[in-house]
Parts: sequence; structure tokens; C-alpha cells
Amino acid sequence: MKPPRSLLSLPPILNAFVSLIPGLGQLLRGYITRAILIFSFVASLYGLVLWRLDDAKIAVTVLPPSIDTADLSRPQETTLTYAVVAIIFAVLGHLWGIFDAYVCAGHKPSPPRLGMTFLIIGTLVVGSDITEINIAKAVREIDDIVPRLSQILWPWNPEKILYRDKENFDGVALWETPCQEDGPVEQPEPVEGQPYLEIAPDCGDPSGGRLPNGRRREGTEVTLKGYNYRPNEQAELIINPASIPEFRVVVDGERVRVTPDDNGQFELSFVMPNFTIPSTTVGAVPVRIIVRQQKEIGSPKLVKEFWLSLEAIIETIFLALMATAFGLILAVPMSFVAARNLMATNIITLTIYYLVRLFMNVVRSIEPLIWALIAIVWVGPGPFAGVIALTIHTIAALGKLYSESIESIDDGPIEAIQATGADRLQTIMYAVVPQVVPPFVSFTIYRWDINVRMSTIIGAVGGGGIGAILVQWIRIGDYDSVGIAVWMIAIVVTILDYASARIRERYV
Amino acid sequence: MDAPVLRIENLSKTYEDGTQALVDVSFEIRKGEFLVIIGLSGSGKSTLLRCINRLVEPTSGHIWFDGIDIAQVKGTKLRSTRRQIGMIFQQFNLVKRSKVITNVISGRLGYLNPLWSVVGYVPPQVRQDAFQALQQVGIAEKAQNRADALSGGQQQRVGIARALMQKPKIILADEPVASLDPVLAYSILDYLEKLNREHGMTVLCSLHYLDLVQRYADRVIGLRDGKIVYEGSKADIQNITDTQFRQIYGEEAQRLGGGLTGGLQKG
Ligand SMILES: Nc1ncnc2c1ncn2[C@@H]1O[C@H](COP(=O)(O)OP(=O)(O)OP(=O)(O)O)[C@@H](O)[C@H]1O
Ligand SMILES: [Mg+2]
Repeated sequence: MKPPRSLLSLPPILNAFVSLIPGLGQLLRGYITRAILIFSFVASLYGLVLWRLDDAKIAVTVLPPSIDTADLSRPQETTLTYAVVAIIFAVLGHLWGIFDAYVCAGHKPSPPRLGMTFLIIGTLVVGSDITEINIAKAVREIDDIVPRLSQILWPWNPEKILYRDKENFDGVALWETPCQEDGPVEQPEPVEGQPYLEIAPDCGDPSGGRLPNGRRREGTEVTLKGYNYRPNEQAELIINPASIPEFRVVVDGERVRVTPDDNGQFELSFVMPNFTIPSTTVGAVPVRIIVRQQKEIGSPKLVKEFWLSLEAIIETIFLALMATAFGLILAVPMSFVAARNLMATNIITLTIYYLVRLFMNVVRSIEPLIWALIAIVWVGPGPFAGVIALTIHTIAALGKLYSESIESIDDGPIEAIQATGADRLQTIMYAVVPQVVPPFVSFTIYRWDINVRMSTIIGAVGGGGIGAILVQWIRIGDYDSVGIAVWMIAIVVTILDYASARIRERYV
Repeated sequence: MDAPVLRIENLSKTYEDGTQALVDVSFEIRKGEFLVIIGLSGSGKSTLLRCINRLVEPTSGHIWFDGIDIAQVKGTKLRSTRRQIGMIFQQFNLVKRSKVITNVISGRLGYLNPLWSVVGYVPPQVRQDAFQALQQVGIAEKAQNRADALSGGQQQRVGIARALMQKPKIILADEPVASLDPVLAYSILDYLEKLNREHGMTVLCSLHYLDLVQRYADRVIGLRDGKIVYEGSKADIQNITDTQFRQIYGEEAQRLGGGLTGGLQKG
């Protein structure tokens, strides 16, 4: 190959010099693609580095000085480090470009491997910074994910998924905050056969809030004496302020528990924990202090999360089924007008063909997730929104697959049947339908399969089905229930996958 | 021999792209005749056969069949004409995913009420006839198989059975054995010959191999560039001269030996 025609033949040194503007030397010597490649890479790399540096500067000045930068997941130094490395490679690439221009002025240059290597490495370095890639962090915090994953992978621990109904055995004392002037708080009468509590003091303050001197306020220390409990069976401390749901008291991450002695008696001291008092309350807030023993009664049952998951997965299967069915009904007629071999007869049909194709491509290019968001605005959250979203996407996807299988049918049998004197309807029934039904069936089942999987995602944004509860459980960190739901999905997907493979086998 | 079953008069076909595939072709075929068309690839053999059953619309000319000119007939008339003309294709053109028996039944569609096809109803008599047609071509035991599960030779037999279901007056065969190996080629053509000899079926067939032509043809027509350049009897074709040969196949054509594998090749 001869070198290309030069636009301007500068001597090698000068040609290298003008390449301070990346690629100019190459351009002058007529290596146009090479010039474009070098210029665009070097220029964009410099540009990206400048942008990152600028970003880092803004980030540093925007942050108020009081906030400790160590708290942020990505200290600004990281960006600076990345930027410096990227600059080095940019400059190397640039220098290589200058050298290359020198070579170009003499004879045909070899492929720009070295220079491109510099520039690509530089780009990847900037890319790592932009996408906040932090492998160290991923490795360091791997411990966080392992127990969660094991919970998800094996939720079928009998202790977790089975439970028995419980009977409460409560002793109750009344307490109030703040203290009032009107004498001791009236305590409930002890009942024969039931435990009861003595409390002292019977009023005080909960923990929390700040005192005028800025220190955290300690709650009142309260001592409980319990009588009439079942001996040697653990009991839990529970607090139930008026108009707030009851809660278990936790100190240093452990629930407060006590075990009565052989006589069914105990003594327990604790600091009144923090709870919010509704700002509308006037006067004293009554607080029920409960020490509860529980006894399991009845036979073991599956936890309600299991039944919830089961209901949700059934909803999901039907959501996918309805979407596939509606999609099928609408996609079949659409696929015939979107088949080129049927529509190429004249300009009007061809225009329809192009419009339908365009429509299907646009619809298909929008993810079902986006359709779900639109459908939720339209009909509100729930499975119906999911059906709409998946239906829209299914029409376009199936329409395309169907029309392609119509386009690829063999003309030979059609002609042969026509030649027997069959009319149009007979030709379609005997020559077209047998050819398209198997792919139609196969695509439809495949689509149902996809729709089941998609509906889990759709559910996550409010489209109903198992995705909805799955996301809720992930948010509250209930990984055992997440595990149950994931298993349900996996089982259903596997069964469907197997079934659809079998059906397709039969039909194709 | 009897009166002509088919008479072609000044038939021409010019495709949309301007290709002149047939130019002023005239000939006739008598009842019970085995007429073979020969010619190079692209000489217009398929176009000629497909004009006769109107898979291709002729540009001009007449096709006299059964006393009427079918070159321009439409609608039900076209249907009833087509059903009397059976066709056998090089690629068999079976509906591959349908059963063999269904493929054979489809040969009778021209006689059936179109609405029946929607519900897939087939009169029992038709089913029985289809079975008989399959028996005739010797593959009745394959009736319930899918068409694509059959070998090439068997598929072509199904193609013949389908044509027979039309109760045709004439069978057109467009290179019926070109995608089969030589042994099968003979068995298929033997079958057509048997139909021709024993049942007086008129056959119009395009063929490639000269030894097949010499063996089966009653009469031969040579096409070149859409024109008839040769016409000869069975006797003529046995003694075809090099000059005639070149007329059909061009100056540079080479003639190979006339044995079993002998054929025509463009040199
Ligand atoms: N649908 C079509 N549109 C345009 N030209 C066509 C069409 N079909 C055939 N032709 C042309 O018409 C001429 C005759 O074709 P035809 O298929 O009849 O030849 P043939 O003798 O059957 O050839 P072969 O032995 O290859 O089958 C060829 O030049 C071919 O390219
Ligand atoms: Mg042909």
C-alpha cells in the first residue's frame, strides 16, 4: 500500500511540532482516520480529566467544613489520584501522537497500537472514577453480604418458617410521665392466678432529648418486683405508652429479659428508655409497663410470610398470563400488517408496514419498567398496572417475532397449494397457518416465561405481584422472608422454563 | 394420438424487471403424451410451466386448455382450471410441518368448500382417496408422519400423490428429479412413465439430464433464451446431432458421454 496523498508535506520535525495539536500532523500527511482517532481520544481524555478535577474542587468547597470527609464513601483525594494517573496517560498518548507524526512524515506508520493503548488506559482510569468503582470497598465489606446471602439462599430453617401460636402471661404496672402532684399512680388489682407487678418509683422521665446544658437526658431508673409468675421461665420487658404501639425494651442490642425464681418472683431494674410523646398531650402520659411470659400453644404453622409469598407468586403468574394473553390477541393481527412479504404489494400497504414497524420498535425500546411507571400513573399501583405495562411491551415484542416468522415462511408450499386450485382462505389455512403456528406457540410461551420474570421487577415499582413484597422485605431487612420469595420465584421460573421447553419441543 | 390437451400460442412473458423469459412460444401437447422441455438454466422452462397454471401471469399469448383460453381467466374459473392441472416441483413444496396425509389431501382443495378448511373438516371420502393415492405411490405407511421426516424421494412421491388428488388432465413437472440422486430420479420418472403409459396421463416435464430425456420423452422441445429452438420426436432425440445440441445449449457447451451419469454441462 502506498502512503496516501499529503495535504501539506512538512518536514518531519515540523510535522511533529504541529502535532502539539493532536492528530494535525497525521491529517496533513493524509492519514485521516488516524488523525481523527488521535485527536478525539486525546482531546476527550484531557476534557474528561479537567471535568473531574473541576468536580472534585466544587465538591470540596461545597461541603461545609464541619462535616468530616472521612464519613463520605469517596474522599476527594481518590478523584485527584485518578485524575493524575489519567493525565499521565493522556500526555503519553499525546507525546506518542507527536512522535507518530514525525514517523508519518517519513513513511507509512505502523498500526497505532502503543498510542491507543495509552489513550485507552487513560480513558478507563477516568471511567473508573466517574462510575465510582471502588474494588477495595467491595472486598472490605464482603462480610456484610455473606450472612444476608446465606439467609436468602436457605430460608427453610424450621425455627424461622414455622411458628406456634403464643399465649401471653402478663403482669402489668402503671407508670406516668412527667410526675404529677396528685399522689401515687393507681395500680391494677392483682387477679387470682395471674402475675402482678410492684413498681417504684411510679413516675419519672423517659430517656432522650437534651438538657439545657446540652447533655443527653438519662431516664428515670425504675425497679419492678414480680410475683406469681411461672417459675424459671424467661419473661420479657415490654413498654406501652398511651397512643403508641407496645415495644420491647432493648439495651445494648439485647432485649431486656428476666427469669423468675422457684417461687415465681423476681426483681428487675432498668432505665426508662426513649419514646416519643405526642406533642398534643396535656398533663401526664400513662405508660403500661408489662413483664410478659409466653407459652407456645397449638401445632406448628408456616409463617404468614410464606402464605403472602405464595399469594403473591400466584398473582405474578396470572399477571404474566393475562399480559401474555392480551399481548397475543393484539399482536397477531399486528404481525400480519408488519410482515413485509404480505405488505409489499403497493405503496399504501408498504406505508402501513413501515408505520407499524416504527411503532413496534419505539414501544419495544422502552423498558417495561418505564411502562409500569406510566401505567401506575394511569390506573394506580397494583397488579392491573403491571398487566398494562407488560401487555404493551408484549404486543410489540411478540408482534415483531410473529411478523418475522411470517416473513420467513416458505413460499413453495403456498404456490403448490394455489396450484391445486385452492382459494385464498384455503391457501392460508393449509399453507400459511401450519408454517406460522409452531413459531407463534413457541414465541408466546417464551414470552410468558419472560413476563413472569419481568413482573417481579415490575412489582418492585408498584406493579403488583411478588416483586412488590420482595422489595418491601429488602427495605426492612427481613432477609428470611426475602429468601422465601426468591425461592418461590426460582421454583416457578424453573417449572415454566422446563414446561416451555417441552412445549416448544413438541411444536417446532 | 388424440387431439391436443393443451395448445400454447404465441406465449410471451416479460418480467417486471424487463427480463424476457418467454418470447412468442407456440406448441401443443396431445393427450397421453410425455413431452419434455430441455434448455439451459435461465432459458425459461419454469416460466413456461408456471404460465400454464398461472402461477406466473403471461404477458401475451393464448393457452388453450379444454376448449377455452386460460391465459386470462380469473376467480372460480381459474380455480377450476388449476385443479385440473397437477404440478410437481423440484423442491417438492410440501408443507413440511403438516402430516403427509394432510399434504395429499390439500391436492383436493380445489373441489372442496373453502369454509370447511377453517374448521379443518375433510370429508371421509377425500381422506380415503388420499390414502389410496399414497398407496399408489407406495408410501401409505408414512401417512401419519410429518412431511419433513421423509427422504427426498419419498417427499416427491407425496408431491405426486398430491397432484393425483386433483384428478388432473395433465401433470406439469418442473425438474422433478433435479434435487434427487440418480437412482431415485429413475424411480420417480418410472412412476410418471407408468402413469403416462397405464393411465394415459399427459405429462409436461422439464428435465436436465440428456439420458433421462432420451429414455422417457415421447417428444422434446428445446428452449433457449425463451424461444423454442428445437423440436424433436423420441427417435430424433436418440440421434441428436452436435449442431442441434449447440443450438440448444450454446456454442461453448460440452457434450458428455451418454451413460447413467451422463448429462449436460456448460463448458
Ligand atoms: N420473478 C422473476 N422476476 C424477474 N425475472 C425472473 C423471475 N423469475 C425468473 N426470472 C428470469 O427469467 C428467466 C427465465 O427463468 P426460469 O426460472 O424460467 O428459467 P429455467 O429455465 O427454469 O432455469 P433453471 O433451470 O435455473 O430453473 C431467467 O433469466 C430468470 O432470471
Ligand atoms: Mg426452473
